[in-house]
Amino acid sequence: MNSSFTANHLITTPTLPPPCRTSSYLKCQLPSSSSSDHTKDHSNSTLIKTLSTTFALSSAASIVVFSTSPLRSLLPDASGHFSSGSGGNAGNGGNTGGGGGGGGGGWFGDDGSFWSRLFCLSPAIAADESPSPEWDSHGLPANIVVQLNKLSGFKKYKISDISFFDRSRRVRINAPDDSFFELVSLRPGGVYTKSQLQKEVKTLASCGMFEKVDMEGKTNPDGTISLTIAFTESTWQSAEKFRCINVGLMAQSKPIEMDPDVTDKERLEYYRSRERNYKRRMERARPCLLPMSVHREIADMLRSQGAVSARLLQRIRDHVQKWYHDEGYACAQVVNFGNLNTQEVVCEVVEGDITQLTIMFLDKLGNVVEGNTQIPVVQRELPRQLRPGYVFNIEAAKQALRNINSSLALFSKIEVNPKPDEKSEGGIIVEIKLKELDQKTAEVSTEWSIVPGRGGRPTLASLQPGGTVTFEHRNLQGLNRSVSGSVTTSNFFNPQDDLAFKLEYAHPYLDGVYDPRNRTLRVSCFNSRKQSPVFTGGPEVDEVPPIWVDRAGLKANITENFTRQSKFTYGLVMEEITTCDKSSHICASGQRVLPSGEIADGPPTTLSGTGIDRMAFLQANITRDNTKFVNGAIVGERNVFQVDQGLGIGSNVPFFNRHQLTITRFIQLMQVEKAAGKPPPPVVVLHGHYAGCVGDLPSYDAFPLGGPYSVRGYNMGELGAARNILELAAELRVPVKGTHAYAFVEHGNDLGSSKDVKGNPTEVYRRMGHGSSYGVGLKLGLVRTEYAVDHNSGTGAVFFRFGERF
Amino acid sequence: MASSITREWVGLKTFAPATQTKLVELLGRLEEKNVDKLTILVMGKSGVGKSSTVNSIIGERAVTINPFQSEGLRPAMVSRTRTGFTINIIDTPGLIEGGYINDQALEIIKHFLLNKTIDILLYVDRLDTYRVDSLDKLVVRAITDSFGKEIWKRALIVLTHAQLSPPDGIPYDEFVSKRSEALLKVVRQGARLRKDDPVVSSIHFVLVENSGRCNKNESDEKVLPNGTAWIPNLVEKITEVTTRSNKSIYVDKKLIEGPNPNQRGKIFIPILFALQYFFVIKPIERAIKNDVANEAKPLWAIREAKRRF
Repeated sequence: MNSSFTANHLITTPTLPPPCRTSSYLKCQLPSSSSSDHTKDHSNSTLIKTLSTTFALSSAASIVVFSTSPLRSLLPDASGHFSSGSGGNAGNGGNTGGGGGGGGGGWFGDDGSFWSRLFCLSPAIAADESPSPEWDSHGLPANIVVQLNKLSGFKKYKISDISFFDRSRRVRINAPDDSFFELVSLRPGGVYTKSQLQKEVKTLASCGMFEKVDMEGKTNPDGTISLTIAFTESTWQSAEKFRCINVGLMAQSKPIEMDPDVTDKERLEYYRSRERNYKRRMERARPCLLPMSVHREIADMLRSQGAVSARLLQRIRDHVQKWYHDEGYACAQVVNFGNLNTQEVVCEVVEGDITQLTIMFLDKLGNVVEGNTQIPVVQRELPRQLRPGYVFNIEAAKQALRNINSSLALFSKIEVNPKPDEKSEGGIIVEIKLKELDQKTAEVSTEWSIVPGRGGRPTLASLQPGGTVTFEHRNLQGLNRSVSGSVTTSNFFNPQDDLAFKLEYAHPYLDGVYDPRNRTLRVSCFNSRKQSPVFTGGPEVDEVPPIWVDRAGLKANITENFTRQSKFTYGLVMEEITTCDKSSHICASGQRVLPSGEIADGPPTTLSGTGIDRMAFLQANITRDNTKFVNGAIVGERNVFQVDQGLGIGSNVPFFNRHQLTITRFIQLMQVEKAAGKPPPPVVVLHGHYAGCVGDLPSYDAFPLGGPYSVRGYNMGELGAARNILELAAELRVPVKGTHAYAFVEHGNDLGSSKDVKGNPTEVYRRMGHGSSYGVGLKLGLVRTEYAVDHNSGTGAVFFRFGERF
Repeated sequence: MASSITREWVGLKTFAPATQTKLVELLGRLEEKNVDKLTILVMGKSGVGKSSTVNSIIGERAVTINPFQSEGLRPAMVSRTRTGFTINIIDTPGLIEGGYINDQALEIIKHFLLNKTIDILLYVDRLDTYRVDSLDKLVVRAITDSFGKEIWKRALIVLTHAQLSPPDGIPYDEFVSKRSEALLKVVRQGARLRKDDPVVSSIHFVLVENSGRCNKNESDEKVLPNGTAWIPNLVEKITEVTTRSNKSIYVDKKLIEGPNPNQRGKIFIPILFALQYFFVIKPIERAIKNDVANEAKPLWAIREAKRRF
């Protein structure tokens, strides 16, 4: 009673390209990318669109994905073919187009024991010989039915249309979306010879779907032929249960061909042994990923259908494969249905187990070379799911791409390419191909900047040529260590204003490249020059002579990355701070203009009182950032705590504790559907910043109030410079046509601590010490355009700012 | 003291005999209390008659008076001795310059007063000004901020230009009391004193007329419209305040610079740093680890914890 049926060939449809065939070359080209040689497939794939959006954020490198996904959306115009090898496993389809498939040919047993090779029909004809456009008329009277074997073998017939006729149910099937049409390689309008048509019938007959297939033509008056494929569908006993097993990496049992002249007893023996073998096989098979819910759905399908028909099996296969592909298991493939004619239908799946992971390096011409990068450096960026033993998942591959691209800025091109393992049936080798960037780079970039004048309005006179000269020697010893340097000035006309240099050595994997702990040591030597916001006048003060704070020193710190955004940095800073006036003379105190017009000394600029301070302090910064993007809007929270602990080493024994705590919350106000192209949710941003200092506080370390990152609507430091400050802000962001508009309220307060800064620069330059502002704005690309009202004076102004406030 | 040479108080002899007698008596009273040195600080806005008052007390032109322009920025100390008793009067430049407190002048005054003791503050303003404004308050505040609230226990408010006929026929005494009340209010606010603070009620007002056209009485003493001889009255009030038990104000570095905010709490820094480490950095680190553990992973990443074959 429990007859077994094993279909050891794939069922697949021609239009559904089988997985792991030719590597389709998919690419997302980013605007700044330099290579431009693989653009043609950059197209209508939703997957790639998501990829490109993801990567556009993170990198300027060009990324090429070797996608093997069989999703239709990936390969919209693929007229792919699939060769079913005798093993019938997924993966070794290779690049062969068509190929009628060894081991084809259905084998139909009698009564209970029933063999069918559900064979993937290869649309060999269409692929091998493309129908020639010239055709011959049938030369027969119109509207007569002609059997296939009555057609002339010398003529090329044009097929006007194709229909199916189900003999058992006596229905004609015309709908072109019917699954039957997927089986046929013939196309209406195509031109075929008799032998081609005969081959097609043979293929159809052997595919396991049909017990019997005939083809007949009806002559049309215009010389073409309407083709009818009459069939009797294969059916098996009705089943109740469904089971899916993973047969990947298992040797396929090859059916032993049975001698046709055997006795009934021998035949029975043969079937029994076959049954036993199959049972053993099922037991050996590993559990598959298909969840119980899908199992139940399919069991329901089986129960509601009664007899198990070939079409039902096809639907089940599609359903199972759809689940796998939707989950990203791009190489998963239903290879067989077994145990037919019993209560339980067994679906055999090759899930695409990874057998090997190889990392290789390519040179500029695409040849495999020995890379400079050490393999473990790349390996540690890969998700575990790409290692041998896991099922290949396209999402894991994308994750690998992203990780390598964003964590290691070492490669100009990254490919993650699964390919069938020839040694192990159903296995997948994940191949990662990397094209290394040059180790040494140097570049000069120039830019013109329009500096906002008073009130944030750009003025023509403030147009400045600036630029950066950088060099980098990266990936030293293949361990991603680097030495880099840069010299920047925002104004080449006046480089002494803000000439800054930085020389840095970065040493990642401090705990060893195999240690999951991700700590990087950085040692840098730097010089920066900034105008001090402490020596800035309040709204009624015309001009305060500027003080430039020049910091030069050494810094050594260790950064431990917990996640991509959260990290802890701690280290030692030793610096010399020089305060200069605008003619670059060292000055020990700021200047102030007396009401009489005289110029007198203002607050001291340094701790030592000489204009030059030296100090060493410990610096620690911990950032917890679990923000994420919901359709482009930031949602989540970010907390930053920074402390500078003076060590009492330096001029005047500086001993201090400067601390800052920033808390920012991005609260999503509405649940939205997460998908590309959907509008982002409205978000409320709440922000608080407290900064304080105990101990020695030179004026250049006082906390300024006011400015685009403190209290908008005021200039940098316009509200004061204090020992302790508190800033509070709230912003409401509402999406408007692909960008967002916002309204904000901000307040900054010196908590009465302005007088605790030596010389009280807040009072000397007649600043309020506190202030609020409110306004509205619109984000246009990178630029924020906002109208902010300064609450102290009650006047508003329009500002243009780059970047985000929070 | 750099600015002055101590000379004999010859100016005392120029006063009217009645005044002289009174002053000698008052000085004697001070000597009884073992006060052999009196330092008087004269402060006020510009052009209210500070220098003239100094000259009137000394009885000679000890400091120059510039009636039409602001005086120099330097304070000047006039010291006179008489039989072992020294009187020092410190004249200061006006504190207001262009509508603001002249911080620099204040700074100079403070440094001038370094290591000196102030026995009496004479806060000078004019009687014939009808209104008080925020500038008055600023001056009072600047004085308070420089020398502390305590200075007002040793203060006298001197109203110059006392020889006037009040407008609209208000009786002289009523005018004086109205003006005093208004000024007292300003002082109270500027010095951040409470209404019921005993210091407020202890502040005395002294009327002064420095002009040469000042009326004189029969004993040739300069008198005010209400008949009081003002020089003896002023010195009497000074004596009265001095002989109160309140301590004089000693101006040291700490007083003029205020508490050094850079030193405040310095000894707690190690504790603060430890607290920051254990109660801020560590909790944030724990929160991060928590985030990592609770991270929403895609299904594919959770599905197979480990599926080796």
